[in-house]
Amino acid sequence: MKGYIGEFEELVLLTIASLGENAYGVAIKEDIEMRADRDISLGALHSTITRLEEKKFIRSWLGEPTQERGGRRKRFFELTHQGKVALHEIKALRDELWKLSKATLTLAK
Amino acid sequence: MKTKPSVKPPRLADRLFEWYCNNASIEDLHGDLEELFFRNLEKMSVRRAKWNYWRHVLSLIFSYALRRRKQRAAFHPYAGASAQTAMLLSYLKIGFRNLVRNKSYAVVNIGGLAISGAVGLMILLFIAHERSYDRYNSKADRIYRLNFEHRFGENHAHMATTPAMAASTLQQEFPEIESTTRFLDYGTYLVRAAEAKESIKEYHVLWTDSTVFKIFSLQVLEGNANKALADPYGVAISKRTAVKYFGNASALGKSLVLDNRIHAQVTAVFEDLPAVSHFHADMLISLAGDWPAAREARFSGFSNNNFNSYILLRPGADVHSLEAKLPAFVEKYNGPSKGGDFARLELMPLLDIHLHSQLRGELETNGDITYVYLFFAVAVFVLIIACINFMNLATAQSTQRAKEVGIRKVLGSQRGHLVRQFLLESFIITGAGFTVAIGLAQLLTALFSSILQKPLQLPLTEPWFYAALGVATGVVSLLAGAYPSFVLSGFKPVSVLKGRTSLRSNGVLRSGLVVFQFVVSILLMVGAFTVNQQVAYIQNKKLGFEKDHVLLVKDAYALRPNSGVYKTEAAKIPAVRSTTVSGFIPVEGGSDFPRRDRSFWKEGTQPSSDNLVNIQQWSVDFDYITTLGLDVVDGRGFSEDFPSDSAAVVLNKTGADRFGLGSDPIGKRIATFGGGRVPDFDHPVFFTVIGVVDDFHFSSLKENIGPLALFLGKSDGFVSIRFDGDPKPVIDKLEATWKRMAPGQPFQYSFLDQEYGRMYAGEQRLAKLFGIFAAFAVIIACIGLFALTAYTSQQRTKEIGIRKVLGASVASIVFLLSGEFTKLIVIAFVVAAPLAWVGVRWWLENFTYKVDIGLMVYAAAGLLVLVIAWLTTWYHSFRAASADPVKSIRTE
Repeated sequence: MKGYIGEFEELVLLTIASLGENAYGVAIKEDIEMRADRDISLGALHSTITRLEEKKFIRSWLGEPTQERGGRRKRFFELTHQGKVALHEIKALRDELWKLSKATLTLAK
Repeated sequence: MKTKPSVKPPRLADRLFEWYCNNASIEDLHGDLEELFFRNLEKMSVRRAKWNYWRHVLSLIFSYALRRRKQRAAFHPYAGASAQTAMLLSYLKIGFRNLVRNKSYAVVNIGGLAISGAVGLMILLFIAHERSYDRYNSKADRIYRLNFEHRFGENHAHMATTPAMAASTLQQEFPEIESTTRFLDYGTYLVRAAEAKESIKEYHVLWTDSTVFKIFSLQVLEGNANKALADPYGVAISKRTAVKYFGNASALGKSLVLDNRIHAQVTAVFEDLPAVSHFHADMLISLAGDWPAAREARFSGFSNNNFNSYILLRPGADVHSLEAKLPAFVEKYNGPSKGGDFARLELMPLLDIHLHSQLRGELETNGDITYVYLFFAVAVFVLIIACINFMNLATAQSTQRAKEVGIRKVLGSQRGHLVRQFLLESFIITGAGFTVAIGLAQLLTALFSSILQKPLQLPLTEPWFYAALGVATGVVSLLAGAYPSFVLSGFKPVSVLKGRTSLRSNGVLRSGLVVFQFVVSILLMVGAFTVNQQVAYIQNKKLGFEKDHVLLVKDAYALRPNSGVYKTEAAKIPAVRSTTVSGFIPVEGGSDFPRRDRSFWKEGTQPSSDNLVNIQQWSVDFDYITTLGLDVVDGRGFSEDFPSDSAAVVLNKTGADRFGLGSDPIGKRIATFGGGRVPDFDHPVFFTVIGVVDDFHFSSLKENIGPLALFLGKSDGFVSIRFDGDPKPVIDKLEATWKRMAPGQPFQYSFLDQEYGRMYAGEQRLAKLFGIFAAFAVIIACIGLFALTAYTSQQRTKEIGIRKVLGASVASIVFLLSGEFTKLIVIAFVVAAPLAWVGVRWWLENFTYKVDIGLMVYAAAGLLVLVIAWLTTWYHSFRAASADPVKSIRTE
């Protein structure tokens, strides 16, 4: 397996993908918190984002300044091709494992 | 949406975050923090939101994200710098880029500042040197010299010397005086070590009291300072003198012979006096004992003012209260003053002597505070000229910077930032200029040292020198940069960016500054011309004696008792026309040229302050008048045919007038008191007037010709020889004869005209200095003008193009462009001329005999400046005028 992706990294990648053109710090944080029901600190989130960027799974750019946020610009993220490949690989791995362990994983009623 | 407009994220957390992140880019993170905070406000209490904000800030601070961003920022050019330093660095970079882009501008500014800085440095060195005189004395603030002023009838004298008894008597009467000492200067001596044969001429020999070491900080290397000069025949010598006579052996206890008469024993060796001392003794001889000097020192009357007297006050003593008691003291010993006569003692602080004292009887020629001020003013003016170059060029090229200013303002620069930026640029230029100035000054020190006859040296190893230079750079850059930076930073961004650069009225100011530059240049030039003309006048003035072709053989007394024989031997040399032996020469200054005056009165009157005439009393021989070429206007000169001439006198015209001898002075008699240096009031001596010579300049041209009387007498200071043709063979023969007749004594000669010229060494020095200063001022002003023409003709490129298309000739355009500067120089001339007139009159007032400064000098200075300015503007004017109009009109 080429790039190792951690669970949280995967979560962030998928969230960025789901947010589309509106993927920036706070939006990602809120989205994950809402869906995963867990509390994330900005530090943790941005650290992960930084690592992903360094692995070239995402790229970023600064948006235009707006009236909000004291005129400060947002940094937007989107997946790179490598990022998408990585997500596919991990999904393939998971699917394979799911398939193999169908019987065992049936939830008892 | 709930609005809580007053609630803001916790300030402290914000600050902490910004501080911690320093220059890393955190705009997005900061934005996230704030957005999150306001979102939280809708969900929770303000308190919790703030707490959350803190939490996120801290999480970010410790996060990998921020660590990486900080690392990345560390590779940024302005890494590690705060926002302010970053701007400073950016200003520096822009400043340097501007310099490189406008090379001529940089060269003009830096060059001008470098030249003026070097001149300023030289002048400051000179001033510091002059002001450092006598400061080596640890008790300098308590040492005072006694000055003596008296008026007696028509005689008035202000002297650095006092009666012999003044110092010691003062000490006895006033307890606030701790100690006193005196110097008696008897001129030069021919000195040899007791065993040696060859004598050496010593110029700096002073007779003094044993207390001299208590008052002046002379460092005694060998011997006992307290006892060295207490006994007769004791002599203290400087280290260099000890080495000269005794080599490396200890000089202590050795004997020296002065003028083959005085045998003195070395009792102390002291460290050479520093150059910055108002006297430079190489030999200090004790005034104790029983030789003429010692006898004179014991004279208790209140006359014979020959002693330079110094007092040392006790610590804490009040000098003013002592000074207040002096009139009573003088009255007690000199008797009460009558009519207009008076006598007065005054105290002069030691540290004032060098710059503030030009009295009769100074031990050495002192400096002059006027020249210190004058040169300081020159230094300031030259520096201002360079500053003006900077101001003019900066405003002239403001069009080029206008866009930059506009854009900076649009991007949020405030005026203060821009002012700071331009001041920094001015600082860069000044700093560069002054750095070059140090090198230039180093080159100039040799020149200035030789002109000023002072050992000037840049204190390159002293930290304070650089600190002072730093401060000076700051001040000058502020001076030069203040105006341009305010003008440049004042542009309105909208109009500037639309292409409308309003130069407004600063053209007027610029013209004013150019006028100022040329006013200073013309002033200095007139000054240089004037001083040079006066020096030439001094050289060529008819003096009443013939100064050319006269050889002076010095120290003829070494020939004793054969000076007469030497004279006849000299007369046998074919080229020699006549010879004379006399110590009195119509040249003044220094211990080589003694003067002697005495009071005489006309026979038939009682001596009183009304009719006593203080007159130069010169002892000469029969051939004096012929050899010096004096003009006998009445009667005759001395002659061997008249034995009675030993009681005869030849007066100069002024002398005959002063005695009131009428239209026929020949045969009348004048009288004086008998006795030698100490007058004997009871036995008058009479002399018959046998002739009158025309007035001749026996003193400096700064003074009126005074009364003078020639007597037959022995005085063997010089053998003067009038010769024809080439001096070389005459000198060779004179030297050979000297060696035969005065073995072991140094043969020293000079020429009368040379010695005469030496009297005006100060003026010649001034002439050279003014020439140099004027040249520098004109050079700096002209390089400024050169650059200024470049900019103005560039600005008028279109205008010139259109003029040419419409038929203007190259000549007329050159004339047009140069015309503007011509106008400015004419204005400068109109301003400078009256100022120069006042200055010239002030300086020439020093001289009783002075050159008539005509309008020619002013016209010459004005024209010269005009021509130089024309030549400098010519290049750019001509280039602009001869450019192809098609090109200049087409280019946008």
